[in-house]
Amino acid sequence: MIVRIKRQSAPGEEAYWQSFTYDGPRHVTVSAVLDAINYTDDLFDTDGNEATRIRWECSCMQSMCGGCAMVINGVPALACATFADEVKGEELVLEPLSKFPVVADLIVDRDVIYENLNSAKTYLDSLIKNRKHQHEQQYSTAKCLKCGLCLEVCPNYHPGGDFFGAVLANESYLIASQSEDKRHRIIKEYKEHFSAGCSKALSCRSVCPAGIETITSIIRMNRK
Amino acid sequence: MKHVLIIGSGLSGLSCAIELAENGVKSTLVSPYPSERAQSVMAAGGINAALGDDDSPQQHAADTLKSGGDIAGPKAVAGLCEEAPHIVRRLEELGVVFSREKSGQIALRAFGGQSRSRTAYAGASTGKQIMTALIREARKHECEGLITRCLGRQFHSALIKDGKCYGAILYNDKTRKMETIYADAVVIATGGQNVLFGKTTGSTQCDGYTAAKLYEQGARLKNLEFIQYHPTTVETPQKRMLISEAARGDGGKLYYMDGDRKVYFMEDLYGERGNLMPRDIVARCIYDAPSQVYLDISFLGKKQIKTRLLEVAEVCQKYAGIDVYKESIPVYPSVHFFMGGLAVDRNHKTSIDNLYAAGECASMYHGANRLGGNSLLSAIYSAKVTAASICGLPRQEERPDFSEYISEQEKILAERLASKSKFSAVYIRHEVAKLMNDCLGITRTEEKLTEGIRGIDYFISISDKLVYDADVSPYIGYSLRPMLILARAILTSALERKESRGAHIREDYPERRDEYATCSVSEYRNGEYHISYVKEDDQ
Repeated sequence: MIVRIKRQSAPGEEAYWQSFTYDGPRHVTVSAVLDAINYTDDLFDTDGNEATRIRWECSCMQSMCGGCAMVINGVPALACATFADEVKGEELVLEPLSKFPVVADLIVDRDVIYENLNSAKTYLDSLIKNRKHQHEQQYSTAKCLKCGLCLEVCPNYHPGGDFFGAVLANESYLIASQSEDKRHRIIKEYKEHFSAGCSKALSCRSVCPAGIETITSIIRMNRK
Repeated sequence: MKHVLIIGSGLSGLSCAIELAENGVKSTLVSPYPSERAQSVMAAGGINAALGDDDSPQQHAADTLKSGGDIAGPKAVAGLCEEAPHIVRRLEELGVVFSREKSGQIALRAFGGQSRSRTAYAGASTGKQIMTALIREARKHECEGLITRCLGRQFHSALIKDGKCYGAILYNDKTRKMETIYADAVVIATGGQNVLFGKTTGSTQCDGYTAAKLYEQGARLKNLEFIQYHPTTVETPQKRMLISEAARGDGGKLYYMDGDRKVYFMEDLYGERGNLMPRDIVARCIYDAPSQVYLDISFLGKKQIKTRLLEVAEVCQKYAGIDVYKESIPVYPSVHFFMGGLAVDRNHKTSIDNLYAAGECASMYHGANRLGGNSLLSAIYSAKVTAASICGLPRQEERPDFSEYISEQEKILAERLASKSKFSAVYIRHEVAKLMNDCLGITRTEEKLTEGIRGIDYFISISDKLVYDADVSPYIGYSLRPMLILARAILTSALERKESRGAHIREDYPERRDEYATCSVSEYRNGEYHISYVKEDDQ
């Protein structure tokens, strides 16, 4: 199997493509493929050129942390949750998320997610207890990995813009459904940084590795 | 204003930063990645607190001490268990989406080794749900300027002079440079030592390096021989993944096949609650079973699995192709938690002044075997104790000159970065993991432990002579030698404890022995490993 990777040695450096051959078992995750390629001190690309080891981020290896988010054969996904034999196409094509600055190879800087959540002051002051009918959606939205896949796939999200994407929609919903005193301010932030820019493409739903029903958060926030 | 440096932004580091902020103390929270990547998000089953009418903190403490092989400190454990209900109530106020009874009360599930149902939970993703609420709470203090996040940094070493810590050197992976942060106190909250055992149930980020480096720099370590094997993990092409104890807490049963007959061996051995014996006992029984052991939850029904164990079903389906609604799960015990770590006193101060440790990297409360549901609890409680201790410290007005040490370390780093070698330190990490799994399995012998020590000594002897690939990160190179020294200390601690207690099972010393009814403390002096034994409350 050929693994084609968009690489970059450091922030600001020029990106380039490099292909590698992977001969291991096919029913393994993309993270296992990357581990296997890196586990040699004679790493050569398919043209016979010497290559440096591929840099990528990982922690849990079971789709619980969001570290290994990247673009796999054109689809934003987690490397640890994508099996090499299930991707479409003959090649495995890996790219860093395009809407975040590259740190190195497949590692990107996702600080902007936190900067946006901080600027929208997404935190709780006091809690309204026991809103039973909200429990399921609250549980679901609290599982957001902050991996950035929803922002990568969203046609409305652009780095540096006022639209903060599905991350903010879910975070706003969780706060608004749990809090009385922060409710009005968070609704204002939601309107300014989400609903004003969302064209309802809803592509965020299909890529979310935590399976969050963002549309439910949107519907409930729009009713407020 | 006082300033605290916290290394690690998982549950303990985050809790400590929040506690300090609530007391008006500023902190810098250092980690390679955001808190969402911390191992704490992987904790599944729940958090213990005596909330039930039939329960009490005293009963919780008694269960904790008993499960821990009677070597944890009764005073320390009493503090943990008395605070537990307040901690869970506080988490509730912070918006943790706990599972609830119809009455609205926080639901409690049964867990291993406990005489009451006292494990509060949020489905089977309790750690994640707690982390989400605490990250949000920390954000409030970030906006107030009391917590500063410092991402993309790895710990390098502490700045220690005459038994006192003044700050730390960090490695910044983006700039490929070192940075120095001075502080009035330093808190270590870096989790367990997983990487020494390869791919465990936890995060690949928890490699034990920080504790290892501090050990090399003079800090004491404790109870290293006690390594918890979680009884139930499932084999996947990726790694062995945790099947939460909640699966048995909610009624799941372990069995093996004898011909066509299912043998429910845990119930045969220990009666009705056999599946919920403490983890050391269940792991040993699975290890001793004559054939493959399975965990059956299918009979619980779709509704219960979906509402209480959804994440267990998802992991099995996605990574192992097992439909838990219809099939049993083949399970294996795997390395899961480290009862040992940095030796701390009851204020969570290490043997170095102004250096504290909290969470899994600190050894306290769990003795020889941790109770399920006590890890999230102790991560938060230890952070609270740490923060309270630091609040009482005076500011460090003066500090020694570390410039010579810092420039020496910068020079070494520059040499590492200039390396053209293609040899990766990861190779040695892999070999060490094989050795550690082989020699520190569920049961141990003098022969195997001695063999392990020989192997690690060899790696230590060559580790400084090799030049490593710096393309991936020089951290992998500079972290290697201290990690090897830590591995050697673990093996030495296991060799010295000539008895079986909790998770430390010696085939050659199968009985518990009174002379070892204490905690082991390891010191590294002049290249030698010294073991002594102390009572936890006396530290």
